[in-house]
Amino acid sequence: MDLTVVFIFRYACGSPGEPPTANRRRNSEPAGVAILGGIYVLVLVVYAASPGTTDVGYQPNQPVPYSHALHAGKLGLDCRYCHSTVEYAAQAAIPPTQTCMNCHKSVRSESPKLLAVRESYATGKPVEWVRVHDLPGFVYFNHSAHVRRGVGCVSCHGRVDRMDVVYQAKPLSMGWCLDCHRNPEASLRPQDKITSMDWTPPEDPVAFGKRIRAEQGLNPSSDCWTCHR
Amino acid sequence: MSIFRELQDHQTVRQYTRAAGERLPRWVLPVIVTLVVVSWIPLVFIAKSRVTKSDVPRIQLIPDMDQQPKYLAQTASPLFADHRAMRPPVEGTVARGELDDDDLLLRGKVDGNWSTTFPFPVTMEVMHRGRERFNIFCAPCHGLAGMGDGMVAKRADALQEGKWVPPTSLTSDVVRERTDGELFNTISNGIRTMPAYGPQIPVGDRWAIVAYMRALQRSQNASPNDVPADHQSDLR
Ligand code: HEC
Ligand code: HEC
Ligand code: HEC
Ligand code: HEC
Ligand code: HEC
Ligand code: HEC
Repeated sequence: MDLTVVFIFRYACGSPGEPPTANRRRNSEPAGVAILGGIYVLVLVVYAASPGTTDVGYQPNQPVPYSHALHAGKLGLDCRYCHSTVEYAAQAAIPPTQTCMNCHKSVRSESPKLLAVRESYATGKPVEWVRVHDLPGFVYFNHSAHVRRGVGCVSCHGRVDRMDVVYQAKPLSMGWCLDCHRNPEASLRPQDKITSMDWTPPEDPVAFGKRIRAEQGLNPSSDCWTCHR
Repeated sequence: MSIFRELQDHQTVRQYTRAAGERLPRWVLPVIVTLVVVSWIPLVFIAKSRVTKSDVPRIQLIPDMDQQPKYLAQTASPLFADHRAMRPPVEGTVARGELDDDDLLLRGKVDGNWSTTFPFPVTMEVMHRGRERFNIFCAPCHGLAGMGDGMVAKRADALQEGKWVPPTSLTSDVVRERTDGELFNTISNGIRTMPAYGPQIPVGDRWAIVAYMRALQRSQNASPNDVPADHQSDLR
């Protein structure tokens, strides 16, 4: 970066090989400063406005101190135990209170941390979880189309089993979607490892993914109407 | 390193300019150095915000039509008392294709008695499906082999939970003697302290789990005669 700046500066002020004449330098110096400043502002804006800055790391406070690191990590619950529609529907579905009460009727049944859950169970009013991942309204996304074709949760949500509070780990930008739709091989896995968070391919991921792709005849589309319909 | 290089370069520039009878004003160099240093500060802040997590809502640079006034799955609506935008079916109505008139498939009963058969043939595919679903929904409590030693059961024991009832071993005689219909009903509606799994597991998968439970039971109560003939010799 430093080197580039120096290079551009020197280039803008005249090529380094020939001694700049007084005349030439006076004309080119403001131009050099303007170019440098322009590039700097451009870098700043692109860096600051990229989804990696504006979107990644969003971690809203939730009404219940529910921890994936405990339930999915330590207790080893499968994602589908709670997000049970993820294989059949577009939505992964946040579990209803009943699902929590499967266990919490008898485990930690008096915990103050679960007060809101018990209240919801008694009154029938849902717990109001705050949405973490949220695509714009003009984008169509479908979980089942990905989960049933060998794209694992971890590719798009990161290591959820290590998060105490869920945060957005990936940019979810159009460029990010397309990067995978154009080259999905590195992210494909066998169907029985979809929810595994620490699975790694036994061989080169791309070669492995190529085989899965050929087996299933996958061809993720980059046409606009796939996602904007 | 590179700033040093730049200083050196300026040295040469200065020599040229001196030759031309002109010199850079003294303040130029410190100003350039300061500018270069200061220019890094915003970059550092941006880099920091890229790696830290925050609960301030995402920044929407061009918010046109990002948040459309429509209800998505599981969103809230102030229109209804329970704030659910997704409405349950009106009472007394049946959605197309959801008429529950199949006693065997949906309730595990034949003529009012618990069924001893499956509503569909049990194939290897059904077995594999059953194992996968069992591991997701039952293993947390009953354990991978159905012995009642799942992670949640172990944790509840360690915490000495007063209300916790240990999950029944699925390979015990009591459960082995239950009919297929009864087991199906246990999954669908729960039993005593065990919760109902009907709402979480589709009907076909519940039957597949029953099939897999039967396989687990046989695996724990097998006799040498159950071993296929071509593997009998491996036993010795
Ligand atoms: C015990 C039930 C349970 C299990 C098991 C579970 N989750 Fe969750 N999950 C929840 C609840 C409740 C929420 C909503 C609260 C929150 O965001 O923390 C949630 C939220 C999420 C979200 C954020 C949703 C949003 O608002 O954008 C993601 C992503 C997620 N889960 C992924 C996973 C993955 C991946 C696994 C498997 C490793 C998993 N979950 C296992 C209950 C569960
Ligand atoms: C399969 C069983 C199971 C399900 C389903 C389950 N939990 Fe838990 N949960 C546990 C166990 C076991 C513990 C105690 C673990 C420990 O302390 O090591 C626990 C602990 C907790 C705690 C911490 C309580 C405390 O006092 O420390 C919270 C909060 C919690 N769960 C919330 C939830 C929510 C919300 C849901 C529903 C989305 C849920 N759980 C679903 C088994 C479950
Ligand atoms: C191809 C990327 C991708 C994969 C794979 C994926 N998700 Fe998601 N997930 C998303 C996106 C994008 C959203 C936001 C959807 C929206 O805003 O409409 C989301 C949202 C969610 C939500 C919030 C509720 C909802 O449906 O909007 C949960 C919970 C969730 N995912 C869980 C999971 C689980 C569990 C898995 C693995 C079985 C998984 N996801 C696999 C991209 C993915
Ligand atoms: C890690 C890889 C990956 C990422 C990231 C990803 N996709 Fe996909 N997507 C796939 C694969 C693989 C398919 C299946 C293609 C097939 O069936 O041939 C698919 C299919 C789809 C389909 C279904 C197309 C159909 O034929 O019905 C939609 C819609 C879609 N993706 C939208 C998105 C959106 C929106 C995002 C970004 C938020 C996204 N995808 C991110 C891999 C990915
Ligand atoms: C794989 C899915 C996918 C495909 C294919 C796709 N898009 Fe997108 N598009 C997205 C997502 C996701 C966003 C939202 C990005 C964000 O919020 O950062 C988006 C955002 C946009 C936006 C920005 C709207 C705004 O005001 O912020 C435009 C414009 C757009 N897409 C046009 C297109 C066009 C034109 C095509 C075809 C060449 C296309 N998209 C194909 C997923 C897709
Ligand atoms: C939250 C923990 C939990 C989960 C998950 C769970 N069970 Fe149970 N199960 C229990 C407990 C506790 C009992 C003992 C109930 C009692 O005796 O009060 C039990 C008992 C049983 C019995 C014996 C009933 C009888 O006839 O006496 C069967 C069969 C059974 N479970 C099957 C299943 C199947 C199949 C699944 C998966 C779909 C499952 N269970 C998931 C906790 C669980």
